[in-house]
Amino acid sequence: MNKLIKNELIKIFKKKTIYITMIIVFLLIIFMNCMFKFANNSNYSVYIYSENYISSLEEELSKLNPEKSSDVTLYINIKSELELNELMNKYKDSEWKLSIINERISPFITEKNTYKYGAEKNEEQVQKISNEMDSLIAKLEQNDWKYFASQDLENANSTIEELERQKQQTEDTEILKSLDIEIENAQIDKEIALYRLEKNIPYGTDYLNRALTNLKTASSSIIEYENQNKELEYEEKKEYNDALEVKAESKYILDTGIDINKTDSLKGILQNFYSQFGIFLIVVIVMIAGTIVSEESNKGTIKLLLVKPYTRNKILLSKFITTLIMIAFVIITTIIMQILVGGILFGFESLEVPVIAYNFSTNVLEEINIFMYLGIQTLTQLPMIILLGTLAFAISTIFSNSALAITISLLGYMSTSIINQLIIGYNLSYMKYFVTMNWDLSQYLFGNLPSMQGMNITMSIITCIIYLLVMLIPTFIIFKKRNIKNI
Amino acid sequence: MEHGKTTTIKLILGLQSITSGKVIINGYDIEKDFTNAIKKVGAIVENPDMYMYLSGYQNLKLVANLYKNINNERIDDVVKLVKLEKRIKDKVSKYSLGMRQRLGIAQAILHKPNLLILDEPTNGLDPEGIKEMRELLKVLASKEKMAILISSHNLAELDNFCNKVSIIKNGNIIETSEISKIKQEASKELKLFKVDNVIIAKKIIDKIEIIDNNNFKLNIPEEEVPEIINKLVENGIKIYEVKKEEKTLEDAFFEKTGGNIIE
Repeated sequence: MNKLIKNELIKIFKKKTIYITMIIVFLLIIFMNCMFKFANNSNYSVYIYSENYISSLEEELSKLNPEKSSDVTLYINIKSELELNELMNKYKDSEWKLSIINERISPFITEKNTYKYGAEKNEEQVQKISNEMDSLIAKLEQNDWKYFASQDLENANSTIEELERQKQQTEDTEILKSLDIEIENAQIDKEIALYRLEKNIPYGTDYLNRALTNLKTASSSIIEYENQNKELEYEEKKEYNDALEVKAESKYILDTGIDINKTDSLKGILQNFYSQFGIFLIVVIVMIAGTIVSEESNKGTIKLLLVKPYTRNKILLSKFITTLIMIAFVIITTIIMQILVGGILFGFESLEVPVIAYNFSTNVLEEINIFMYLGIQTLTQLPMIILLGTLAFAISTIFSNSALAITISLLGYMSTSIINQLIIGYNLSYMKYFVTMNWDLSQYLFGNLPSMQGMNITMSIITCIIYLLVMLIPTFIIFKKRNIKNI
Repeated sequence: MEHGKTTTIKLILGLQSITSGKVIINGYDIEKDFTNAIKKVGAIVENPDMYMYLSGYQNLKLVANLYKNINNERIDDVVKLVKLEKRIKDKVSKYSLGMRQRLGIAQAILHKPNLLILDEPTNGLDPEGIKEMRELLKVLASKEKMAILISSHNLAELDNFCNKVSIIKNGNIIETSEISKIKQEASKELKLFKVDNVIIAKKIIDKIEIIDNNNFKLNIPEEEVPEIINKLVENGIKIYEVKKEEKTLEDAFFEKTGGNIIE
């Protein structure tokens, strides 16, 4: 048996195919790492129009007559857009200023132009709005982003005061409750403004700002779910859990200043290894599994094996075990390639940064070493990888057709997410034993709720084993009974 | 037409399931005790399909890995025996058909089998290759003491190679015996005469079958030959030669199978 496996490995590694595919995977890894390295992080400067576009807008504007009622809306829109763009162009070097212009000043521009050109012209309003805008722009000139943050804080405080006052004027429990919710929401705004001031976070699009935005969205939905009168649906529970996770993570980011979701670092890429590189692994593994028997059947070399003093079961089993060994080989080699490429491009130091994982059952964040984390991820992905490999192995053995085996297995992999979305979306609870729902065990990590109600990890593992046997047993029986065809 | 040569070999080697009857090799039933039955068998089925992307030596090494006690010396010996020393490190994809055929034999005899099964071993070989193959098989049979089972439709070749033949027609064995015996049987009564004038001879003995001006055939048992000679001499016919007709295996084959088309 060992000898058979040894021979299979010799055959694989003496072939050029494995080297060519691994080199292609290596090149793809380099390519993807470069993309992470040189990809522009989105920021507001991408909203600034090009000269050409501006002149075409101006040309269009000159054709419109604001006096005509059919043109006026479009006129106001283009005019406002041009003014906004001009303003952004002026402050394009400062991220936080662009952010302020985009979020706070742009509504004023539209409003001003509506009063200026619209149906209800109002010079007084135009003047008032212009003054307000000018005062904001003056703050931009003074480089005073904290002004805006303190404004936020003040607004939040006054809202809270106002709501508290309203609370005292009513006895109605319904109204009291809705007021409470509003107060809680205002308190989030306050908390965020405080974070901004304390941690010195200017406006913008960097990870700290993203954390602030996420914190706000997550906290609001948590409040919403917690104040629901009825029992939460399963899907809602999952969303509630997700919101708790985002909230905890965002707070962690803001408190420590560490960007835990940083993608342009070795650790960041390794953390998402299977979602980024899973497809490469599957392609190589399916290719090996889908040819290991059918190639020999089609070229006639299988006869060499079958007239040796080994039973057919042993011969096929040795090929299956070889496939499993190759799965391990491909995963380990790809990870090593990624560590080398990522390390050279981004440096190895990020490997010391722990992965932050939210534990859903204890509600605390856990720090996990990246290699430990990668190991856990690998274990959770193994059922899927092995089952897809087995599928290719079984089809190629039964039909002696590698192309069919590889195509079906890859289609299976690619349609997984669509199938799962359909099953979850239509809540087809009898489909919870379907293989694609169960072969990704990462859904159970850290006490998370599984994709569907009533699923658990033991059930998933048993389901995967049953699918494995359902594929393997007929394959072995057919291979044992098969008459070897003439070539 | 498929008469069942390759099928028979596949049945013997367990590559095809047996519907009725038994295959017993070295005392073991191929279906019930495959590994023991096949242990001392070497074979090439149909074409010598080797791993093209490996060298000849690597191919042999793979086979050696699957048996106990095949050391590198044995591999070298076998390579020498099949005369592939010079090209054994080359990839099989660069081999000619004859070389592949010899490599096929090398992998089949590596573990010193006592039964070697070859399916059309000279198929596609040039005359020189056929001659080499014949010599190789003779060496294997005499020196390595192997029983060699060859399937072929090339009767002239079998005539040269074999001691014993089985004739299969439409899947049925219609004859199994020593080649010499088969040929003998077929030519039992036929005598060839070479004389100066067949026309006169015909007048004297009308049973004769004229071949040409000087030769005729006569179907008589041996005991009657002197009598015929006497008659001819009495009538002044000069006899140059009298001999038994030497039949080829081919003639015998057609006689046995009734001249049917062969596959």
